Amino acid sequence: MMTLEADRADTNRLNEEPASSVGTAALRHVVINLFNLAILLPLAWVLLMSVKSLPDAMRGDFWPKHFDFTHYSFVFHRITTLPVNMFNSIYVTAATVLITTVCAVLAGYALVHIRPLGSGLVVTALLVSLYFPVRVVSIISIYQTQHWLGLINNTSGLILPYITLQLAISILIMRSMFQLVPHEMFESARIDGAGHWRALWEIGLPMVRNGLVVIFIVNFVAAWGEYLFCLTLIDDEAKRTMPVVLAAAQGGQGQWAWPNLAAVYVIVVTPGIIAFTLAQRMFFKGLMEGALKG
Amino acid sequence: MAQAIVNDEVELGARVAGGPVLVLRKGMSEWLFLLPALLFFIGYQVWPIVRVLWLSFTNFQLLSDKPAQWVGFDNYAQALHDPLMWASLGRAALFTIMFLPGTIILPLLLAILVDRVGDRRLATLYRVILLIPAVIPSTLIFVLWKWMYNYQSGPINHLLVNTFGLFTVQNAPQWLGGTPLTLPAIAIMEVWWGLGYHTIFFIAGLAAIPKDMPDAARIDGANEWQVFWHVTRPQLAPIMMILVVLRFGSAMAVIDEYLIFGGFNRASPTYTWTIFMYDQAFKTGLWRQGYAASIGMIGAIAMMIVMVGLIWIFRPKG
Repeated sequence: MMTLEADRADTNRLNEEPASSVGTAALRHVVINLFNLAILLPLAWVLLMSVKSLPDAMRGDFWPKHFDFTHYSFVFHRITTLPVNMFNSIYVTAATVLITTVCAVLAGYALVHIRPLGSGLVVTALLVSLYFPVRVVSIISIYQTQHWLGLINNTSGLILPYITLQLAISILIMRSMFQLVPHEMFESARIDGAGHWRALWEIGLPMVRNGLVVIFIVNFVAAWGEYLFCLTLIDDEAKRTMPVVLAAAQGGQGQWAWPNLAAVYVIVVTPGIIAFTLAQRMFFKGLMEGALKG
Repeated sequence: MAQAIVNDEVELGARVAGGPVLVLRKGMSEWLFLLPALLFFIGYQVWPIVRVLWLSFTNFQLLSDKPAQWVGFDNYAQALHDPLMWASLGRAALFTIMFLPGTIILPLLLAILVDRVGDRRLATLYRVILLIPAVIPSTLIFVLWKWMYNYQSGPINHLLVNTFGLFTVQNAPQWLGGTPLTLPAIAIMEVWWGLGYHTIFFIAGLAAIPKDMPDAARIDGANEWQVFWHVTRPQLAPIMMILVVLRFGSAMAVIDEYLIFGGFNRASPTYTWTIFMYDQAFKTGLWRQGYAASIGMIGAIAMMIVMVGLIWIFRPKG
């Protein structure tokens, strides 16, 4: 319904446009596509670099003379720590996204539809934490906490600080999503004998799924690319995650020749882009419904 | 409304079952849903900040055997008398000034353009392309641009030297590694990174403006610039305020980029208060974390003062 109306409004607007504005419209598309080009060119450069033959890579031309797709298998067979680093990244990110999502959904629901005493204070604290440079300043004492828990140089230990990277914003997003669900829906479910758990699971979750997509992506991006904590809390190369390894690798000769490096990069960056492209419709809806308001 | 309903329920429960125990249990079960989130939030956000605040008043050194002593404001006095503290704050501010205008104005311009694209499919395609950098994790953005800016084999210098012949291999610009070009280079990268995400922010804001408002202005004879300045801009002001304040905060507290592109040379323009703090806490001597904590608190407080000022400037008037 909504989209239909919007469509009609758009066509109306197009029809009303005088002939002289055809040029303006063309100019508009040219400018937008210049920006698009600026965004896509660096990514295209890496993608092409990952399939360049070694001499092509040395020469530095944008388009390779000879394609060479063997770098992808090379990096996984010959760089021994790489599969381990990859596994670390996948494991830590999956755990982080899962736990943060559960925490955010439960908290978002509670802040809107249970409202225990003091929820106002919680919301204020979450908002303040968005403006304070928490991550930077807290690194000193998080190192001590992890030390005390025996989690220095422990890959699983990273999950704990990673959960809080985007926890506050995730809770606030879920909160504004749950504000869109009428309180009466949960009330009537509970009068029918469902507890908060069932009301949330059966009625709440389907209604906030766009928001779920948003916090999934936000937390994935945060954990998959985290640098500061991993660099500081993990000393051992084999226990680190991909971003720290990639940031430390100097492009040049041998195993870290440019095409190899680029191949690793493409492997690490593609899953996120594909997931986002597939979920973009829900992601945008979620952004418009909740994230931008929160 | 909901609060009232919940309160009523609690009272009803207490009256029927007759006991404060039930009220307490009711209260606990209400908090159950918030518990997991609060556990992490307090354990890894609130507590660390409280602890850093406490550390900043001690002479704590992590690698030292001696127990930490309370030293009052000594750390703060020492930091405020250190020219490096002021220089490092100034560098962070300099970077913020380089970064902030571009990251607000370009997305605003782009949003106005994309908002007027009538073709629904094309509009979706544009938004997807624009948002790609936003779903690339931070460190991977930095690694990508570390290669872009690479002195010898980066495509930017390749373009400048081989394609346009503006420079030779000897005098090509040294973008990264603590040169004067490092801060502008990082600022360009950050604008590139945030371009799409901020554009989406503004598009959402534009979508909320009733279509008849700019149309009415046009009928009254306003040109496009006047429409933008008198109709669109005031409507977007709240979004702009949030973006300016949030981006000011993230720009002042940049650390990963400086660690990757700059290192720990104290003369480098990337040696800001965040790196100063990190250097003291994890690199220098016996890891002077008490002193580092005071540097972190000074940086954070300085930032917060400006942010409150910004919020005050942008407050809704009238």
